[in-house]
Amino acid sequence: MSGRFREGSLSARFGRQFVTLVLALTLFFLAVPVVMTFVSSFASDWFGVFPTGFVTLGNWEDVIVGTGVGADVSVGSSLAYSTGLALGGVVINLIVGVPIAYAVARYEFWGRDWVNVFAILPLAPGIILGVAFLRTYPDLSTSGIALIIGYSLLKAPYMVMAVQSSFQSMDLQQIEESARSLGASWPRTFLTVIVPNARTGIIAGSIISWTLAAAEFNFSYIVYSRGTPPLAIFLFNNITNASFLNAAAAVSVFFLLIALVTIALQIIGNRGAVRRI
Amino acid sequence: MAADQVSTGTRAVESVRTTVGSLVSPASERQREIRRIVALCLPFSVLLLFSGVFPLTEMFRISFSESRLVTEGFTVEYYRAMVTDPYYRNIAFNTLWFAAATTVTSIAVAVPVAHALEKYALPAKSVILTVLSFPNSLPGIVAAFMIIILFGNTGILSNVFAFLSGQSRIDVAIATSVGGLFFAYIYSMIPRALLLLRGTYAEVNTDAEEAARVLGATPLQTFRYVTLPQIKPGLIGASILVFRTGLAIFGTVLILKGLLVWTLQIDRELAQGFNIAQASAMATVWFVFVFGFTVLMLRYTSAEVSI
Repeated sequence: MSGRFREGSLSARFGRQFVTLVLALTLFFLAVPVVMTFVSSFASDWFGVFPTGFVTLGNWEDVIVGTGVGADVSVGSSLAYSTGLALGGVVINLIVGVPIAYAVARYEFWGRDWVNVFAILPLAPGIILGVAFLRTYPDLSTSGIALIIGYSLLKAPYMVMAVQSSFQSMDLQQIEESARSLGASWPRTFLTVIVPNARTGIIAGSIISWTLAAAEFNFSYIVYSRGTPPLAIFLFNNITNASFLNAAAAVSVFFLLIALVTIALQIIGNRGAVRRI
Repeated sequence: MAADQVSTGTRAVESVRTTVGSLVSPASERQREIRRIVALCLPFSVLLLFSGVFPLTEMFRISFSESRLVTEGFTVEYYRAMVTDPYYRNIAFNTLWFAAATTVTSIAVAVPVAHALEKYALPAKSVILTVLSFPNSLPGIVAAFMIIILFGNTGILSNVFAFLSGQSRIDVAIATSVGGLFFAYIYSMIPRALLLLRGTYAEVNTDAEEAARVLGATPLQTFRYVTLPQIKPGLIGASILVFRTGLAIFGTVLILKGLLVWTLQIDRELAQGFNIAQASAMATVWFVFVFGFTVLMLRYTSAEVSI
């Protein structure tokens, strides 16, 4: 029966194998370095073909406790600092992102498409915004406030998209009209009926924009001047200055963070968001 | 003519006054709705203004400044340098061809991968999806480290190539060359392209594909004449976004160095003598180019941007 489908053509014979091969190579290319980084962070040296001297926690200890040499700090203080900065960014994102996502999802108005484009396309990437901040708010850069404001603008699109996907699965007009007809004012309807119903998207958006803010390097590198380095700068210092396996351990700390976030997103059941992050 | 202008002016003032009036004390349900929309968009607009528009304007202003640290006078010296100095022209050329080449490669890889994910019954599909989307949350510096693991002096693939060619590992390690940077770029760009293309692929009409196969088209012909026209808008949209991503990459280049691109030169202007005026001029050119490019492409192609 399959003979009718011109099995003789090249693409019929090798097309599937070729596509599968591309998939396999891509998976290898993307996954192997991640696995090797994690594995080698437990090794004591890597001079030959494979890392040797398993299992040692020395590299992790250097990263977690800090080596105490020069200005080298432990991951704890950087992680705590970045957690705080990224949380500040998330708070701003919630305040600005949820309302605009609702406006676009619920109402028809002139210029709605443009509002949507501005809300979900990043205005400028980290490095450009960094230069602009350096010029405009030079005094803020040492306090971390500039970092918080910058993170919130850079990561707002992810919050808007996550919340929008929640809103799109709700019958907003019906919910709003039911609440209004039961006597709730419009602000009350928005805050106590609409927002709680979109909590999956809001939590997912918060987690995603938090992670991406904690991982933002380009903007942090340009704006950061002194004090505790944010997590991304800590990673950079480790990759450029520390020993290779210490760097592997520092990058592995970051992997664990992403893994935790992915699990958290799966628990709250936002599968679309998991793939987006 | 002048009278016309005056009347247009008064009309504009009048319409602004009525708009503001209807926002403060709306009289109809429609006006109340407009007030709500404005209120909902206001927080985002404030953030956009203070952390986006205002800093970018300041950046634009100092790029014409005669003094290096404060905005003073007017000069196009920094822009003239970018146009006349072959050094900058070379960087611009590097940036553009490199971003274009990596975009084409990433899309070329992402299309078959998206095809396999959509059409084939794959084992452990959720693991595959996790692996393919994981790099989306990695910053560029980590992507650079991944390339050092693969192509560095003790890199896995360096060892393989050394074994195959019989040369020393150090000679075949390409992590810090243009080739290594190329792989580092596509390490970040393939997952991004895939994210966009999977959405496009999910909407392809499979009935038409099956009909084509039954009528005797080979798989390649089916892809070329049935699938490709359907995914074309998504393909163009993905290319635009991935190209933008490629132009914005900075952390990766900072570590691997490989090629002097625009973003790296911006950092060098700041690092070597804090020439913020020149850095601002370069950032302005970057911003205007990418903004104009995006608007033009979205306007004049059939691109479909779905993030």
